Amino acid sequence: MAEGHGHVEHHWEYSYYPLIAVAGIFFALPLGFASYFEYGNSMLATIFLGIGVPLIVIGVAGWTAEGVANAHREPGYAMTGLPIFIVSETMIFLSLFASYWMLRLTTEVWPPAGTPEIGLTIPLIMTVILVSSSFTYHAGELKLEAGDMGGFKTWLLITMVLGAAFVGCTVYEYSHLIHEGFVFGTNAKSTAFYSITGFHASHVTAGLGIFIAVLIPALAGKVSHTLVKGAGLYWHFVDVIWFFVVSQIYFW
Amino acid sequence: MKEWIFTTDHKRIGILYLVGSIAAFAVAGLMALGIRVELMAPGTQFIEPDIYNVMLYFHGAAMILAFLIPGLTGFLANYLIPLMIGAHDVAFPRINAFSVWLFWFAIVLALLSLAIPNPPDIMWTGYVPYSSQYSSGNSSFYVFTVHMLGFSSILGAVNFLCTVIFMRAPGLGWMQLNFFVWTILGAFVIQLIFIPVLAAAVTLLLFDKYFGTAFFVPDKGGDVLLYQNLFWFYSHPAVYVILLPAIGVFMDVISTMARNQVFNYKVAVFGGVWGVVLLGSDVWVHHLYTSGMADWIRIGMMVTTLLISIPVGLLIISLVGTLYRGSIQFSTAMWYTAASFWLILIGGLTGIPLAMTSLTLHLAETYFVMAHFHFIMGITATFAVFAGVYHWFPKMTGKMYNESLGKLAMTLNFIGVNLIFWPLFVIGVEGMPRRYQDYQMFPQFEVSQWWSTIGAVIVALSTILMIWNWISGAIWGPKAPANPWGSVSLEWTHTQSPPGPGNFKEIPKISPDWHPHEYSKA
Repeated sequence: MAEGHGHVEHHWEYSYYPLIAVAGIFFALPLGFASYFEYGNSMLATIFLGIGVPLIVIGVAGWTAEGVANAHREPGYAMTGLPIFIVSETMIFLSLFASYWMLRLTTEVWPPAGTPEIGLTIPLIMTVILVSSSFTYHAGELKLEAGDMGGFKTWLLITMVLGAAFVGCTVYEYSHLIHEGFVFGTNAKSTAFYSITGFHASHVTAGLGIFIAVLIPALAGKVSHTLVKGAGLYWHFVDVIWFFVVSQIYFW
Repeated sequence: MKEWIFTTDHKRIGILYLVGSIAAFAVAGLMALGIRVELMAPGTQFIEPDIYNVMLYFHGAAMILAFLIPGLTGFLANYLIPLMIGAHDVAFPRINAFSVWLFWFAIVLALLSLAIPNPPDIMWTGYVPYSSQYSSGNSSFYVFTVHMLGFSSILGAVNFLCTVIFMRAPGLGWMQLNFFVWTILGAFVIQLIFIPVLAAAVTLLLFDKYFGTAFFVPDKGGDVLLYQNLFWFYSHPAVYVILLPAIGVFMDVISTMARNQVFNYKVAVFGGVWGVVLLGSDVWVHHLYTSGMADWIRIGMMVTTLLISIPVGLLIISLVGTLYRGSIQFSTAMWYTAASFWLILIGGLTGIPLAMTSLTLHLAETYFVMAHFHFIMGITATFAVFAGVYHWFPKMTGKMYNESLGKLAMTLNFIGVNLIFWPLFVIGVEGMPRRYQDYQMFPQFEVSQWWSTIGAVIVALSTILMIWNWISGAIWGPKAPANPWGSVSLEWTHTQSPPGPGNFKEIPKISPDWHPHEYSKA
């Protein structure tokens, strides 16, 4: 209980980056989305994205820089906070799976008409890639604990390449299926397939983003151990979720 | 100025939450006033049906998502929890700043929906298939407002759970927490687990509307009831996100003003707060009694809905029991608290017929439902926010508000809300449907509607008086005593009013026989 109480501020603390990041989200997501999809104004959408995305990048980058610079004062609650956050993430996936089960179990014919054969080779390759990336990241963490920065950076890069390969496989698979006329709105199967695999892929992409936030300060020789451990925990979580995705969507 | 806009201090963030949520309350309240004036007589008076629908949408969404939840779990939790547990700030101050600005920009987004072409007109529930297929309104603004407020709340939950777990003052045990802290923990556990389900529901709505997916489209194998299940799976527990901290505020106010230990503290914490959290997740189907759910689940959830009166009852017993043999001082906050007993009583009793599947067949979609949830959730929790502002006003500003003006505004407010909703209960039982802009087919209800509108005008006047009291008190009020209510809780005994950066000059050390509600030794 007592940890973290050594430091008591004597001035009002502030940070620019949370507000900048939120402003970016505001322009890029709601305004950008509504301009394009609701009002069909791609010019306006481009402008909003042009304002929003740089703000998000500045916000996240500045925030990470502050975090890494103050790493020595961080009391280390993050490794409890992140699992608590992951409970929330799990509930989102659970809601998506529950919706998928509702769609699937209340219909007589599955898959519905218009569904092409979805190959099982690519998901197998993807499983191997993602599982090994969990191990390569762990290898990097071990190197870091042993004080070997070079080894850490190497394993981190290998992990990122594997993660990028995973996203690449998704893109390849999607383009193949879309080419066969199997798009997001084709039928109930396509709805479940693209939303669940897409949502998972977005998490892999977010994990890659976090790795970039670990890598850039690491190249300058700075490391926040909390960030490294947190990134690892998130990546393992995304890995575990993949087993549910692959078993429910591809092999059932 | 920089130290306000970019602040990461929990007290300033709390004040930002307060300003934002009261602004949302004011605009949503004006919508309600407009709706009531329109309903004063049958036929269209001032407000065309299309605009009426947008106003209903804004009133519901803003009152629940942008006023009650942020007012209780944003403003009060932020301001009070670190002070009550003897911490210098929350666990993640920058994430806290991120949360408050997500909330502010969500309000901006909600307000923008009054200015854009094709504003959303889908109620705060956003029911499909209207929201996804038939409405010409911009449903995406609704979805993103929910997303931003939801994400803000989830991060708040992570923040406050970590804060209470790790940052309690040395020696402060779990059974020595202010009752308000326990209710906030319960509320945030609910937010953490259930908000993602709402986020998923509205995201699927977005996919259906803009990408043509099949989740809620029966022609393509989808299911409309899936949306209602996902929506109420969060939105019923959301009622407890509002009710629990409201009870927490009342409990702290009563304990302080009656100078009494919280009656049945442990039973109220474990049976009351955590009982509500556990049972609250299994009652959502009572919103779908007439939607075509199977009998086995309707009967099951009728039982759980009735059972939840037990943990809620434990909380109410503690509220009342704390008054027993107390030496009660009546501040404005205590007046609001006393009034809330009446609101909870009426709101609770009218909930029983609505919990019955058979009676709901008659009462569903009438004014009776609307008056019931306004009593139990809307006004009770609103009174809790007001009681909280008054009770901790000297702490936040270092000044005193005008007590007589506060009590006058409270009395007008109480008379006003009773005048609004009693006639609506009656015409609800007689069959007046909810949400109608025009009731020419029911001319017999005109007198009741007229009186109800008079009540709304009185509430508007009382709100103006109250907000004037706060603003003038904060600027010109006399200097407040250090501990005006004689409380023994840490935020009064160990900090200045208002507390400076870092809250405590020295983090207090807590002895095992100290308790924030123990007045027998004081």
